[in-house]
Amino acid sequence: MGSIMPAWTSASRRVALLTALLGLAAVGINPAAAFSVASLDERFDNGLLMVDARVDYALTATAIEGLESGVDLVITQRLSLERPRWWWRDVQVVDQQRRYRLAYHAISRRYVLNRLASGESRSYRSLDALLTRLGRIEAWPVIGRDRLEDGQTYRLRFDTALDADALPRLLRTVAWTSADWQLRSEPRTLEVQP
Amino acid sequence: MSGLPRQAIIRILLSVLLILSLYLLSAATENSARFGRLYLWLLLINGVVLVVLSGLIVNNLQRLVRSLRARETGSRLTLRLMGLFVVLAVLPGLVVYSFSMQFLQRGVDSWFDVRIENALEDALALSQASLDQRMRDMQQRLEEAARDLADVNQAMAPIALGDLRARTGASELTLIGENGRIIAASSMETDSILPHRPEESILLQLRQGRPYVGLDPIENAGLHIRALVRAPGPDGPGNTRILQGLFQVSPRINDLADEVETAFSEYRELAYLRGPLKDSFILTLSLVLLVSLLFAVWSAFYLARRLVAPVSRLAEGTRAMAAGEYGTQLPPAGNDELGFLVRSFNDMSRRVADVRDAARQSQTLVESQRTYLETVLGRLSSGVLALGPDATLRTYNQAAEDILSVPLQPGTGQPLSALVERFPDFGPFVEQIDAHRDEADAEWRAELSLDTREGRRSLICSGAMLPGEGEGGGEVIVFDDVTTLIQAQRDAAWGEVARRLAHEIRNPLTPIQLSAERLRHKVGNRLSGEEAALLERSTDTIIHQVEAMKEMVQAFSEYARPPVLQLQRVDFNALVREVVELYRGQAAQASIRTDLDDHLPVLEADAGRLRQLLNNLIRNALEADDGGACEILVSTRRGSGRHAGGIQLDIEDNGPGFADSMLDQLFEPYVSTKPRGSGLGLAIVKKIVEEHNGAISARNIDGGARLSVRLPTGRDQR
Repeated sequence: MGSIMPAWTSASRRVALLTALLGLAAVGINPAAAFSVASLDERFDNGLLMVDARVDYALTATAIEGLESGVDLVITQRLSLERPRWWWRDVQVVDQQRRYRLAYHAISRRYVLNRLASGESRSYRSLDALLTRLGRIEAWPVIGRDRLEDGQTYRLRFDTALDADALPRLLRTVAWTSADWQLRSEPRTLEVQP
Repeated sequence: MSGLPRQAIIRILLSVLLILSLYLLSAATENSARFGRLYLWLLLINGVVLVVLSGLIVNNLQRLVRSLRARETGSRLTLRLMGLFVVLAVLPGLVVYSFSMQFLQRGVDSWFDVRIENALEDALALSQASLDQRMRDMQQRLEEAARDLADVNQAMAPIALGDLRARTGASELTLIGENGRIIAASSMETDSILPHRPEESILLQLRQGRPYVGLDPIENAGLHIRALVRAPGPDGPGNTRILQGLFQVSPRINDLADEVETAFSEYRELAYLRGPLKDSFILTLSLVLLVSLLFAVWSAFYLARRLVAPVSRLAEGTRAMAAGEYGTQLPPAGNDELGFLVRSFNDMSRRVADVRDAARQSQTLVESQRTYLETVLGRLSSGVLALGPDATLRTYNQAAEDILSVPLQPGTGQPLSALVERFPDFGPFVEQIDAHRDEADAEWRAELSLDTREGRRSLICSGAMLPGEGEGGGEVIVFDDVTTLIQAQRDAAWGEVARRLAHEIRNPLTPIQLSAERLRHKVGNRLSGEEAALLERSTDTIIHQVEAMKEMVQAFSEYARPPVLQLQRVDFNALVREVVELYRGQAAQASIRTDLDDHLPVLEADAGRLRQLLNNLIRNALEADDGGACEILVSTRRGSGRHAGGIQLDIEDNGPGFADSMLDQLFEPYVSTKPRGSGLGLAIVKKIVEEHNGAISARNIDGGARLSVRLPTGRDQR
């Protein structure tokens, strides 16, 4: 018995270690989806494929505290159009992204939403108003109708996430390990047939 | 030495890599943009290094424990050195670590002062307060403008707004309808067509009758004051329009507010990031320390093993030397004192091996000389005995054993007297030697008759003290068996006598006989009566005695005649039975028993002569009868010892035995104590035996005498 016990103990220790590692990995890979895509619709308007979407953005308390403490948050919205192929990787027809910076302006006590590509900015009295505006995507032009093949089914894919790489470096380490900063939506897909 | 060993080079490379990675890690920790992106990777790599090092250390520990359990040489020393190194590396490291941690905590905290924070917050509040005043002014100004718009209808609104904007100093004025639609707008910036729309919540607040004024940071245009008031139209108070005005803050105040805002925001961010910063520093420091410590521990294993290796090799070498493996050579171990020790050990080992080889050589030499001497001694026909200083038997040669007829092997290392108890015949010989030793004769010479198992022997002994003290001393005794020599001399003499007798006596016998016969023939007729009878008697006596003498001479001539053997294969037992059968009928008073070995080898001999030999022997035994019942035992068996392969014939009687004085000349002609017989019986027996290259011996046994004849067979016959 004496010789079996240590072996068992070491084996169980290994198992425990493995479980802990797997648990850690699970936390890293599969955070609670803090953002969710409520709806995703497509329409053709003047020969353009347009996308409307509604996203519910819910920031965690930690993220709100960071934002109000002067940490700028960058949220990325990503839209891609793929042509599926059964025999090889799908063809990526379009891959677009919009990046928004969320900031808090202390003197005016307002939340500022800034679209990074255009520099267009608006300020809001409340964070909810800002998030509601951010979550309302209207007429996102994707691609010209003429560039799509008739009869072909395309897959539209949309997701949005907090860009951890845009966080201050010190927070990045924390963000890498903490679920509070792992803010992203499950990707939402939609079949498009021109 | 060909530079450093491979493992050392690998370790040095590893440590350089490790130091590099630790440097990068610390550089990345210091918020530098260059390594910022690497930070996570560096953490990961160092974490992996940590795990690998831990694995290596565990592996080393296991090896150490295994070798400790197996009690391998040097394992305990390795453990001690290891412990020492680890303590030397870990203790200072831990002390530095704990102090660094304290400094880190206090240092980071000391950057953030409550007073600075309060001052910044006050500055912010001050800015807000000063802007509040301005905002109220703007709201008032806008309310006045709204009153002016009361009787302006929708068509006239753009013009009126332009005027009002110039009057109020607003950068933008917008009139918004009840449904939220923009009725008219006037902007200072002509390139921007779209006016800044207010948020829905603000419009809602206004519809509830409360005006709004607030700050609005507008990108690229600086801080603006946004004010919204109700502006009733000409249609009456039911139709509520909203007038929005955007007022620029003066550039001076704008800049100041911007600076306050930036400073406050950065300070808040820094304060907020204080926790992660400390964590990051602590993580880096701990990682650096842990990796360094583990590396040190790992290196400690290596160093301890490297240091101990020559020592344990020395220990192994010493053990091997102790076990008799001289000449063990250890691999060289550098130029330090340990290396010197190893070289000295190798020198010593080589020398010991040389000495051992020399000793072995001289031993071999001694052995070969001894073998040589033994061979020489073994070839000697003389017996040689060497006695130690304490009179114990040290060595002897084969001839000694043969002559004395005593197995000397069991007596080696013991005094000769020990053998006497088992072999009493040996006594006189030992007495002789002891007597001379007691007299301390350096050299002596003596003649000696010894009654051995194989008959009586005449020995000429000589003894000499050996030179040297202690082990080297002692005595050597050389003796020769001169029995056959003496016998040969006697035989030769007797042969000569026989020849002479034959020649000198036989010749005159015939004339004597003839003369006597003629005398009786010529004179007998002439005599008569008593005289004639006298003559008859006298001549008869002469003739008979001459006849007897003739017979005697004939016997002598027979005895002296050179042997002419007719060799043939003979079944000796059959011969014995045949001869014994003859006597069974004759001698009624004698009982002749036989004890014959059925497995006798076949003899190559002259059957007639052997028959004569048996006859003579049995007759001799019968004649030994001293009047009682005569019992004779005739036995045959295979020869033993010197006579192995031959045949031994023993004839025992229960007579009085041989007189001691006769034993020496028993086999000589005319040696007989018996009243009858020619006196040549045993002499002829001996002659026949010698003709067959055999040996004969006689000795007295309990209640009788025994004659033993040993005849060789086959190839050793001649």
